[in-house]
Amino acid sequence: MASKIRQAGWYRALAFTILGIAVCIGLSTGLRAAFGLNPVYDGTAVLQISLLMVPIFFLGGIGCFDYWLRWASGRKVVDDHADHGAKSWKDYFKVNTDHKVIGIQYICVSFFFMFVGGLMAMLVRAELAAPGRQFVDPNTYNGLFSVHATLLIFLFVIPVFAGIANYVLPLMIGAPDMAFPRLNALSFWMLPLAGVMMLLSFLAPGGSFAAGWTAYAPLSVDAPIGQAFFTIAVQFAGASSIATALNFLVTIITMRAPGMTFFRMPLLVWANFSTSLLVVIATPFIAASQFMVLLDRALGFNFFNPAGGGDVLMYQHVFWFYSHPAVYIMMLPGFGIISEVLATRARKPVFGYRMMAFSLLAIVLLGFTVWAHHMFVSGMPNWVRIPMMATTAIIAIPTGIKIFSWVATLWRGVLKMDTPMLWATGFIAMFTLGGISGVMLAMVPLDIHVSDTYFIVAHIHYVLFGGSLFTIFAGIYFWFPKMTGRMFNEKLGKIHFWLTFVFFNLTFAPMHLIGVQGMPRRVSDYAEQFATWNMIISISSFILGLSSLIFLYNMVASWRSGPKASSNPWNSLTIEWQVSSPPPIFNFDTIPSVVGGPYEYGVPGAVHAIVGDPAKDLVPAGAGATEGHS
Amino acid sequence: MEAAAIPAPAAQDDHHHGPPVANQSSRVNSEVLGILLFIISEIMLFGAFFAAYFFIRVVNADGWPPGAGLPVAVAATNAAILLSSSVTMHWTDVSAKRGNQAGMRIGIVTTFLLGCTFLFIQINEYLHLGFTPKTSASASVFFGLTGLHGAHVIIGLLLLWMSAVRIFKGKVGPANYKGLEVPGIYWHFVDAMWIVVFTTIYVL
Repeated sequence: MASKIRQAGWYRALAFTILGIAVCIGLSTGLRAAFGLNPVYDGTAVLQISLLMVPIFFLGGIGCFDYWLRWASGRKVVDDHADHGAKSWKDYFKVNTDHKVIGIQYICVSFFFMFVGGLMAMLVRAELAAPGRQFVDPNTYNGLFSVHATLLIFLFVIPVFAGIANYVLPLMIGAPDMAFPRLNALSFWMLPLAGVMMLLSFLAPGGSFAAGWTAYAPLSVDAPIGQAFFTIAVQFAGASSIATALNFLVTIITMRAPGMTFFRMPLLVWANFSTSLLVVIATPFIAASQFMVLLDRALGFNFFNPAGGGDVLMYQHVFWFYSHPAVYIMMLPGFGIISEVLATRARKPVFGYRMMAFSLLAIVLLGFTVWAHHMFVSGMPNWVRIPMMATTAIIAIPTGIKIFSWVATLWRGVLKMDTPMLWATGFIAMFTLGGISGVMLAMVPLDIHVSDTYFIVAHIHYVLFGGSLFTIFAGIYFWFPKMTGRMFNEKLGKIHFWLTFVFFNLTFAPMHLIGVQGMPRRVSDYAEQFATWNMIISISSFILGLSSLIFLYNMVASWRSGPKASSNPWNSLTIEWQVSSPPPIFNFDTIPSVVGGPYEYGVPGAVHAIVGDPAKDLVPAGAGATEGHS
Repeated sequence: MEAAAIPAPAAQDDHHHGPPVANQSSRVNSEVLGILLFIISEIMLFGAFFAAYFFIRVVNADGWPPGAGLPVAVAATNAAILLSSSVTMHWTDVSAKRGNQAGMRIGIVTTFLLGCTFLFIQINEYLHLGFTPKTSASASVFFGLTGLHGAHVIIGLLLLWMSAVRIFKGKVGPANYKGLEVPGIYWHFVDAMWIVVFTTIYVL
């Protein structure tokens, strides 16, 4: 037992967590005694300090800092790759430095939170099935939709993209791992902590945080203690996100295979490059906004207290300066996935490759100029509205370039309408609808009319569900053979797509109508006139929810006993498909050389990269690949 | 050795040799690029607090300075202390590149002590200001920005401490100074940020 506690792992993590709580109680009571505050023991203070510090103790216990601390204390560090790669399922529950293991950890954890968050959506729809009160009281209802949105944004869409990219991006650029494997592990482990913290808020006195995922001040400053769980959990999710983005950027810039110029990179790599730029630049703003809320809540600062000269609107400015770019953080990696799937399954080069890359960068730049379009009715100065309306309309142009380029990629292609392709084409249709309602919302008069109605709910779900989630499904199905070495069940995949596609539209399309008619969002009750539509929406949403179980079954069953997948089932040119499925522990024996573009489909004999594989004798003798194989 | 003894299929063989050496596709060193990106992120964090400063001081016109006036002379002295610590940090860097062990040791200790002096003076200033964050929004902004910077000084000092430990164990030299260079870059950032904070809070 004692040796188990000394070793990095769950026992030590548990011990450190208990130690951490003790330290926080000591720190809080000690400081309060030193400042002469009464009472010396204050539960709220202890809780807030614990939320900040105990996760760090846990991370230390599970072993995220071991290597760095040894290095920093000047002791000898051996890089024996003991914590690289997974030999059994247990290794997925340990700190691991292999980008492939971390990618799977990311994907599984984020899908867990997708199911939890989706369940909350089901509860929300159950409550809204009929006017009046059905199951939950208004405060619990506010908590449910707040936690639903927060989980699906911070614990699902953002990290699942990081997970997919973690798995395929180093392979795609011909790198043996990410640039900073230990930082990569740390960024992963911060994530479940943030998710658990958000869920724990339901146990807090006064209920979970209920100010929406936007947590506007001063509501979030005056809310019960459950709000602090949001404030602090977002810090961990944000730190995780920044660390991963930094890692991606350094990996892409410094670790590309020879011959892989920027304009030979697959568009998924471009998409993650752009996303990471957004994350590194924008995410500190949400960190700051939540730090300020925390300071106001815990230490009586006056940032958002109008009586003390504080500025309430400032919260919205700082928050949306992150959270508008964040919608592109939640979309650009999906754009990358779609480009990969479409080119491969239409057997054609991506139309306008360079414009696809430049439009990503244009979105990054323009994404920082539109934040106040979320604030047209906030009471900010009127003159700010017009430039924000203009920039918002302009940002539709690079997005339009992408849509038209995808359609042109499909034009006269040899389309193979299998599951990944269905999701990709479904995405183009749904995201275009979401984009059109986005341009409508950019127009100030319409926005004022539909502000805080179900029209907004419809719009966000068309871009985040019909947009991001469809790309996530496309990506998961597309790379499932690579990640697991097995094929998924194609029939179930198609059933999953069609059920989701039909009931997604039945759920969210009517919301446009009742939104324009004025049904307010974020309220647990509504007028009698909306009853019929809400019943239809609720029933559709339950079927939509159930359809995800088909996906879950397909994934679990195929992973356990699906037919073995070949190394390149889609006949793709990019590098990740040129190694075995799943890839070898260190990805490559020798670093591949890139000799052409990534999407030269339809060009006879086109090769993107030469991947050293001694078995196939592709590498000339003496290149170093055969070393140790004689 | 063992690999030769076992007729190993490729999959098993992987455990005996490590990963292939990654291609270095940029002249920039990955650790240096990493810390520079992190610093961009940090600048944006400060940027958000400067946004709060702007909204509360300019848009909302809450009275500035908070309290009866800020001790500009003390803060200016502190700026001088922090700036000179940047000079000694640079000297430490140069000594490491030249393999001057004594220079490194004196340099890192001086830098560390100057950083501690800065913090000591800052905390003393806090105690004698005559207002607290609860007093007004301007006071909150004052404590928010200087406190955020103070927190970064503490992080910087922790990194310097690690470098110092490694220097005194003889682990840093001309061939191996990344572990000193990266904290050094961060320390220069902390110093430069103080100039911005000092100018906006105390001078303007």
